[in-house]
Amino acid sequence: MPRRLQQCACRYGNHVNGPPPPQACKMEVLLEVEPELEEAELLQEVDEKEEEEEGGEDEGLSELRELEETLSRVRIAPSAPHLLVQKAEVDQSEWPVSYRQNSTQEKLLLAMADSFRCQYAHLYPDRKPLLLCPVNESGVQKFVSTTLRPTLLPYPELYHWQGCASFVSDFLSLEPLDPPVDPPNKLRSPTWVLRTQRGTCFEFSTLLCSLLLGAGYNAYCVSGYAVKEMCLLNQSRQECPLLKTQVKEKLEEQKQDVRKYSVKPPRDLQSSFEHRQEEKRQEDTRIALLSKQKEAQRLQEERERPSPDPLLGLRVHCWVLVLSGNREVPENFFIDPLAGRSYPTTSEKFLGIESIWNHQNYWVNMQDCRFGCAEMTYDLADPVKWEYLLCGSNQSILLIPDMKKQQEAEKEEDEETEEPKVFEMPPSWVSKIHISQEDMESRCPGGAKLIQYRKATVEKFAPYLLKDGLVTRLTTYDDLECTQPNTVREWYKHRHDHLDERELKKATNVTVEQFRPGRSYALKCHRYITLVPETERQMDFYSHARADGLASRVETPSEMTETFIDRPDFLHYRHVTYGKRVRACGLGEIPNNPEQVQRPIQKVVERFHRDPSKAASEDVAEREFLLSEDRIQVTYHREEDRIIPAWRNFIKPHDAGDSQNTNAFTPQMASIFQVDPFKKPCKNLFLYETLMALMKEEENVLMRIKDSEKEVRAILAARQQEESGIELQISIYNTARNEKARCHREALERLAKEELLRKEEKELDVLAPFLAQLGDPESLTQQQALQLRADCLAELKQRLIDRANLIQGRFEKETQELQQKQQWYQKNQLTMTKEDEEAYLAYCSDAMFRINILKLRLSRHKDRAPQKYLALDEKLRRDPRLAHHLW
Amino acid sequence: MNRLFDTAAPSVIDEKMLQKAVEEQGPQGQAGRLAKKEGIQYNEVIQLCLELRNILKIGHLWEFTSLTKLQLNNNIIEKIQGLEKLTNLVWLDLSFNNIEVIEGLDSLVKLQNLSLFNNRISVIENMDTLENLQIVSIGNNLISQLDNVIYLRKFKELYTLNLAGNPICQEENYKIFVAAYLSDLVYLDYRLLDEQTREKAGVDYQYALEEMRLNELQEQKEMEAQKITEQELQLHKDAFVELLNGPHLFDSMFADDADAPKLACLPGVTTLLDSYKTQLVALCMQMFEAGLTQHARRQNEVESFFSCSREAVADNQQKAAQIAADFERSRRQVIAEMQKATDTRLLEAQASKYSDEISQLCDTLMTLELQLVDQLEDIIKDFERNISDLVGGFTEYIQGIFAQCRDLENHHHEKLLEIAVATLDRVAKNELEEDLPDDVRMLFVDKDTLINAVSASHDTHLLKIDNREDELMMRINSWMSALIKSIQDEEVKRNRKRISEIHNYVDYVKDQLEEILLEEHQ
Repeated sequence: MPRRLQQCACRYGNHVNGPPPPQACKMEVLLEVEPELEEAELLQEVDEKEEEEEGGEDEGLSELRELEETLSRVRIAPSAPHLLVQKAEVDQSEWPVSYRQNSTQEKLLLAMADSFRCQYAHLYPDRKPLLLCPVNESGVQKFVSTTLRPTLLPYPELYHWQGCASFVSDFLSLEPLDPPVDPPNKLRSPTWVLRTQRGTCFEFSTLLCSLLLGAGYNAYCVSGYAVKEMCLLNQSRQECPLLKTQVKEKLEEQKQDVRKYSVKPPRDLQSSFEHRQEEKRQEDTRIALLSKQKEAQRLQEERERPSPDPLLGLRVHCWVLVLSGNREVPENFFIDPLAGRSYPTTSEKFLGIESIWNHQNYWVNMQDCRFGCAEMTYDLADPVKWEYLLCGSNQSILLIPDMKKQQEAEKEEDEETEEPKVFEMPPSWVSKIHISQEDMESRCPGGAKLIQYRKATVEKFAPYLLKDGLVTRLTTYDDLECTQPNTVREWYKHRHDHLDERELKKATNVTVEQFRPGRSYALKCHRYITLVPETERQMDFYSHARADGLASRVETPSEMTETFIDRPDFLHYRHVTYGKRVRACGLGEIPNNPEQVQRPIQKVVERFHRDPSKAASEDVAEREFLLSEDRIQVTYHREEDRIIPAWRNFIKPHDAGDSQNTNAFTPQMASIFQVDPFKKPCKNLFLYETLMALMKEEENVLMRIKDSEKEVRAILAARQQEESGIELQISIYNTARNEKARCHREALERLAKEELLRKEEKELDVLAPFLAQLGDPESLTQQQALQLRADCLAELKQRLIDRANLIQGRFEKETQELQQKQQWYQKNQLTMTKEDEEAYLAYCSDAMFRINILKLRLSRHKDRAPQKYLALDEKLRRDPRLAHHLW
Repeated sequence: MNRLFDTAAPSVIDEKMLQKAVEEQGPQGQAGRLAKKEGIQYNEVIQLCLELRNILKIGHLWEFTSLTKLQLNNNIIEKIQGLEKLTNLVWLDLSFNNIEVIEGLDSLVKLQNLSLFNNRISVIENMDTLENLQIVSIGNNLISQLDNVIYLRKFKELYTLNLAGNPICQEENYKIFVAAYLSDLVYLDYRLLDEQTREKAGVDYQYALEEMRLNELQEQKEMEAQKITEQELQLHKDAFVELLNGPHLFDSMFADDADAPKLACLPGVTTLLDSYKTQLVALCMQMFEAGLTQHARRQNEVESFFSCSREAVADNQQKAAQIAADFERSRRQVIAEMQKATDTRLLEAQASKYSDEISQLCDTLMTLELQLVDQLEDIIKDFERNISDLVGGFTEYIQGIFAQCRDLENHHHEKLLEIAVATLDRVAKNELEEDLPDDVRMLFVDKDTLINAVSASHDTHLLKIDNREDELMMRINSWMSALIKSIQDEEVKRNRKRISEIHNYVDYVKDQLEEILLEEHQ
C-alpha cells in the first residue's frame, strides 16, 4: 500500500534534507487520486521523470560500464558453449490478449507500483531503481509478481526443488545481462522462455520460481547482486558436484553400555620416555610435512585465484529463495537457477539483495547488505527489515511497540479502517506453462550440454540421443587447463546389456563397469584391463540372484579367488592357484585357444563358515587340496573356548580311482591332531571313509573350477559381442520410441481413418446425378450452382409429392375395396354361412387396420415433407461445392 | 497270521546272529577289511536289519545305542519290548509280525517313520511321546473304531498314513473322516489325498472340527496364560519379593492366628484391622517395587560383567588363535623341509632351532593366558564388591521396611489391647450393647485370658513377619554366594582347559619332531 510508504516518509523524514522536492508533492497528489481512475497521463509523466533520474544516476556508472564492455569483448565465450537452437519466433498475433494488454486490475497495480517506486526513489536516492514493472515480450509493462505463474506439471521429477532446479538449468541457455550492473528492463514470460530455451537470469528465476510455487514451496525470486562467476555461469572454478563423494557419515552408534568391567590392557613394559621422544620426533616431521603441504596448497590457490573483478558487488543477479516451513524444508536456502544448485543463505557468493517477490507480494530489502547476505533475516512480516508493496496479503504484520511511531501512525490507521477492502495481486497474465514430454526428455537445448568445472568437464546427453546410450560423461583432469585426462566416467541409460556406468582410469588403464541387475550370470561389476581371459580382472555378482551364491571372482594370471555369500553348505571362499601352463602340443603349434590347454591347478583352498548343526571339531573350516603334492589337508573349526583347531591331513593313496582293493589304506597316510586329549582317537575306518569322501569332493571342486573358467570366458565373449553391437532397450510403455507400439498405434489410427472414409462414402451424394448431367465439371459457376440447387430441390419436391400420391392412392384403393366388400356383405347377409361371415369379419378388421396404417403414414409424410425439404436446402448450402456460390 | 514257515522253530536274537548281521551289513571292500581288523563296536552301528529270521522276542539290542534304522519285519514278534535304549531310532519297521498292542515305544522320541503293517493291533495308543512322527503305516491290522484316527491328530508333522486293510476302511465315510481330522495329511493309503476329498471333509465335519479347534485353541491359550503367570512369579522369585505385591503377608499373618477372628468381633477392631491392613500392604508394595528395581539393577550388573568378561576372553582367544595358526603354518613348512632334507647335521641344526621356536610359542601362549587370568581376576573382584554392595543396600532397605512392619504390628497390638481391656471393663460392668458370640465371651472371663489371647496373636504376627524377612535375606545371600562361586569356578575351569590345551599342542608338536628325527636316524 502506498499509504505505508507515506508513513515511512514520516519515519525517515529526518534523513531527508531540505524541503520536499516537487516529486513529493506529486506523490501526494497521486495518493489522493482514486485508484480506480486510470490516470494514464499522470503515470506517463512520473515515468518520464523516473527515467530522467535513472539516467542521471547511470552517468556515475558509465565508466564502469565502459570497462565492462571492454571486458566483455576480451572475455572468452561463456564456458558452456550451448547449442543454441533458435526456435522460430512466434508472431505477436498468436499471443493471448493478456500478453498484449493490461486488465483494469493490472493497470491499477501498475499505478500503485509506480507511486511506490516514486516514493522509494525519493527516499533512497542512492539506491538502485527497483525492478518492478518491466515490459514483456510484446512491449507491455507487467508487474513482476504477475509474471510468476505457479504451475505443477505432471512430471514426478518436477515435484522436488532439486528436479526443478536441474531442469531449469539444463533446459535453458543463458543470455547474460547487458549491461551487467543494471536489472533488465524486459522480462519475458516463462512460456516464451520455454519456447525459445533462452533467457536472462531473471527469466530463469521466474520460471524456476513458478515451478517451485506450483510444487508447494515457499519460494521467492530475489533480485540482488552476486559474484561474477555466478552471474556468468562460469563454473570452471567450482568442484564438480558429481565428484563430491557422498561421505556417508556412518554414525556408528557406539552402544553406550556400561563398560564397567572392561579389562585393563596388559601392562606396557616399554620406556615411556623413549616413547615420548619418538612421538615428539614423529610430531615434528608431521608438522613439517603439513606446513609444506599447506605452503603448496597456498601457492596452488594463489595460482588459481582469478583476477579481481572490478564490478564486484555491482553485478546484478536474480536467484530464488526458498523459505523453510512448506514441504518439510528445514532451513532457508538459495537456489542459483543458472547452475541449478542450492546454497545456504549465508553463502558469500551472494553479495546483496534489493528486493524479493512471489506471486502475491513484493518486498524491498531494508537491511544492510554491505557485508553480503550472511546476516540477513527473512522474516518478511517484519516491516523494519522488509518494506512490502501490498498490504495484508497473507503475511500478518507485526506491530512494533514503538510509542512514537504508533502515535504518528494513528491518523493513518483511522483512515485505513475506513476502507477495509484489501487490494490483492491480480492473477498472472502468463498463460499456462506447458512442458512437452519431448522437452522433458531432451532437457538441454539440442539434447546435449557441456559444463566446465574445476579440473573436470561434464557432458550431458538426452537419452537415446547417442547410439551407445551415453547420458553423462564426466572427465577429470590432472591440471587446471584440462589437457591431461585422469579419469573418464560415463553413465549410460537404456542399454540392452544393462551397462550403467563405466569408469576408465587413464593412468592404470583399468576399466570398471557397473551393471544393473538382470544380466546373465548376474554380473554386477567388472574391473579389467583387457577383455582377454586369464588376465587380471575382478567380477562382482548379484549373489542373491545366483544359485551358487557367488559374490565376486578375482583373477590374476596365476590365481583365482571366489567368494560366496549365503550358501547352504557354508562355503564362503575358494582360492585356486595355477601352475605354469604345460605346453602339450608340439613346438610349432601355439595354443591359441586356451580351452585346449588347461592351466594345471596346483592348489585349491576352500573355507567354510561354521555350521551350527555340527560339532565344532567335526565342522570343516578349511579344505586344502594340494594337487601337486597329492595331499589333502582339512582343518576344522575351533571349539568355542579353544585356541587351536583340530586337523586331519591325508596323503592320497596312489592309483586312486582304480578298483578300491588296490589302494591299501595305512594309518601312516593320515596325520591328525585332536584338540581334546581325552577323546578316543579316530578309527581307521572313519579316516578311510573321510579320505574317500574328500577325494570325491576334490573331483567335484575341480569340476566347479572348470565351470568357473568357462563362465568367465562366456562372460567375456558376451561383453565383447555387446560392445561391438550396442543395442538400446526401449520400454514397451515408451510409445514414442518403441517401434512395435508405434506400428500398432499407427495401424489403429489408419483403421479408424479408413472407417471414417468408408462412412463418408456411404453417405449418398445428392448432387452426383445432377453433376453428371453437367458433365462433372471441376468447379461450378454461380449460375450453375444456383441451377443445381434449384434442380435438386425440385427433384426432392417431386419425389415427396410422388410419394404422397402413392400413399394416397393405396389408401383410396383400400377404402374402395372395403366399401365394396361391405356392400357385398349387406347384400348376401341372409344367405351367408357362418364361415363366410367369420371370413368377412376377419377381412374387415384387417382392412381397417391397413387403412389406419396408411392414414397414419400419409399424415406423417405430410408432416415430414417440409422438414426434409428444408434439410436438403440446408445441406446444399453447406455443401462445399456450392457453399461459396450460395452464401 | 498265517505263515508259510509256521513250522520253523522260532529263534532268539543272540550274539551270533547280531555279529553276523552286523558284519554282513557293515562296510564292504577295503573299508570292510579295515573294519574287521579294528572290530566293530555295536554302539557305533547306524543301521541294522533283522528281517525274515523267525524272531519271537526282541532282545539283546540295548548295546546299539546309536542305531537310527532298525528293521525287524517278517518275524513272529508278539510284543514290542527291549527297544528302550535305542533312543536315536528314526526308522522302525515292525511289519509282518504278530503284535497286538502298541507299547514300549515311549523313549524313541526321534522316531519319524514307524511301520506296524500287518499285525494284530486293534487300538492306536501309547505313542504320546513320538512327536516327530512323519510316516505311520498301520495297515492290515484289526482297527475297527474310527475314533482311533483322532489320536493321530497330536502328530503335527504326520503327512503319510496307511490304514488300508483295517476294518474301518469298510466304513462309508472312512476317507472323509480321516481327511477331516488329519488336515495336514498328504498321502493316505498309498494315494495322494485329493482336493475334493479335503473339501468334502471340511464341509461334512465342519462343526465337529470347529468345536475341536476351538477347544484346542482355548487349551493353548490357557497354557500360555499359565506360562505367563508362571514367568511373572519366577521373576518375582528371582527378585526375592514374590507375593509381596498384595495382602498375602497380611493374610498369612492372620491365617494361623486362632484368636484373631474372635478378637475381630470386638467393637472397633474391624476399622483398626482395615487401616492396619492397608498400611501393611502399602509397605509390602514398597518392598515389592524396590525388589523389582533392584533386581533389574542386579541383572544389569551381572549382564554387563558377563559381556565384558566374555569380550575379554574372546579377544584373548582370538590373539592366541592367531599366534597358534601362524605357528602351525610355519611348522608345516618346516616339517616338509625337514622331511626332504638329507644332510643329518643340517637337519639337527634345524631341529634345534625348531624346538626353540616351540618353547617360545609355549611361552607366548602361556603369557597371554596369565595376562588374561590377571585381568579377569581384577574384574571379578570389582564385580564381587559391586554386587555385594547392591545386595547390602537392598537388604538394609528391606530390613528397614520390615522394622516398620513390626512397629505397625506393635502399634496395632497396643490398640487392640486397649480395646480389649475397655471391652473387658464394659463386660464386667455389663454395659455391653452388642451381643458377642459365646466363644468370644469366653475370652472375657478374666483379664489374664484376654491379655494372653491378644499377645499370642501378636506373637504369631511377629513371627510371620520375621520368617518372611529371614527367608528373603537367606535367599538373596545364597544367590549372591552361588553366583560368585560359579563365576570363580568357571574361571578356574577355563584356565585349566586352556593350559591343558596348550600343553597338548606343544606335546603333539614335539612328538612329531621326534618322529621325524627318529625316522632320519633309522
